[in-house]
Amino acid sequence: MNALEIKNLTKAFEGFKLDNLNLVLPGGCIMGLIGENGAGKSTTIKLILDILRKDSGSITILGRDHEEDIRLTREEVGVVMDETGIPDCLNTRQVGKVMSRIFRNWQEDVYADYLKKLSVPDGKPFKNFSRGTKMKLGIAIAMSHGSRLLLLDEATSGLDPVARDEVVEMFSEFTREESHSILMSSHIVSDLEKLCDYVAFLHKGKLLLCEEKDRLLDTYGIVHCTAEQLQELEPAGVRYKKESAYGVEAIVLREAVPVHWNISPVSIEELFVFMVKEAK
Amino acid sequence: MRGLLLKDFYMMGKYCRTYLLLLVFFMAVSIVGSRSLFFIIYPCTLAGMIPVTLLSYDEQSRWSEYCGTLPCSKAQIVSAKYLIGLLAQLAVLILLGVCQAVRMCMGGVWEAGGYLTLMAVLMFAACAASSACLPFMFRFGVEKGRIAYYLIVGAASAGSLIAGDFFGQDVPTAAPVLSAGTVIALFAAEAALYAVSWYLSIVFYQKREGRSLRNLHRLT
Repeated sequence: MNALEIKNLTKAFEGFKLDNLNLVLPGGCIMGLIGENGAGKSTTIKLILDILRKDSGSITILGRDHEEDIRLTREEVGVVMDETGIPDCLNTRQVGKVMSRIFRNWQEDVYADYLKKLSVPDGKPFKNFSRGTKMKLGIAIAMSHGSRLLLLDEATSGLDPVARDEVVEMFSEFTREESHSILMSSHIVSDLEKLCDYVAFLHKGKLLLCEEKDRLLDTYGIVHCTAEQLQELEPAGVRYKKESAYGVEAIVLREAVPVHWNISPVSIEELFVFMVKEAK
Repeated sequence: MRGLLLKDFYMMGKYCRTYLLLLVFFMAVSIVGSRSLFFIIYPCTLAGMIPVTLLSYDEQSRWSEYCGTLPCSKAQIVSAKYLIGLLAQLAVLILLGVCQAVRMCMGGVWEAGGYLTLMAVLMFAACAASSACLPFMFRFGVEKGRIAYYLIVGAASAGSLIAGDFFGQDVPTAAPVLSAGTVIALFAAEAALYAVSWYLSIVFYQKREGRSLRNLHRLT
């Protein structure tokens, strides 16, 4: 079963439109939503959760239409927003007590475990936490009520590299169960590259690409050459190029390049930057 | 819903301590000091404003937005604020009611009709404030709703002066100025006012999207 299916999703604001978005996140997989500021990542997540109302299109979460029984759906969906949203005066114990009365499947022992794993101080008010610790608490909450789908909006931002690595490992562990999936947006593309099975590029409300990560990395490569050399290639094989005084850097389809050419592996970040520049 | 109420209790314990001190001070003054009705009406108005204060803190901490991701309906989110307000108002009314009964008895001017009239006025002061403010806040957000808040506090201060004239400023010797039927009608009207405000807030909040459009840059 697909964890998430988005078909022709559209939402217009003054000066911005999320336009005809189509995404499928299979069960047991992690999808990274990559985009610049204002690309529509948070809007997409808020539309999925019905915090914002869509103009058109359909969203299916864990096999149910997202408007069908949104409360039941939210029981099974863990969410971390870019700002955690916990009241400043509450401490972790109070947060646990509040959440245990909000979620039917709240697992106090799991919550305590995550707090310990993530070194979130016990009994200290939320307002005294650093941004990173606030995010860790948000992550602990999202993973302590039997969630089958995690929606993470910039959940790793503000974390130091060690904590980020731990969190990324936790997410990876979470999806070892086939019924568990994650949709996460982040500016830190390296995290997504490490973790994701699928990547989706958003630019100004439009989906540029949604593809299996390994397939992308197998399909595309980077060549560094002169403008004349590049002309030897089939135009269809050259997807994006950047010319400078030192030569041309181009993202190419590996199969369109002669075998004797030197092709460097492309990173997701490079691919994204090239595609966005091309789209501009 | 229980979780939302518990969260509001925690917040009330932290952020509304000043109210408690004011209440104690005003109660003490109303028993042993000034006879002005201001000292018993103003704490009621403040108690009515507790849900408004909590809502402001919710918006400041972005709980209002986070709450939209939890398995709580918008009706429950609104209802939690009305229930917490109701509990705070009842607690203050009971305390003030006991104080005024003691004062009347000590002054040897106990009169049930006058006492009930006074309680009806106090209840009005408590529920009118939140009934008027909350729908504005749920419709327009805390920032714009605050205008309603200041208007209400101003009106409450003016109201207590007018009520002072009505009772002749002297609470213990207040005569039963309203008939039993009128007092019952007043209580019913106050309950109806609170219920209508509750309903309107639910309708307004259900129509409201996660954030206002002017904050679009933060949405995406």
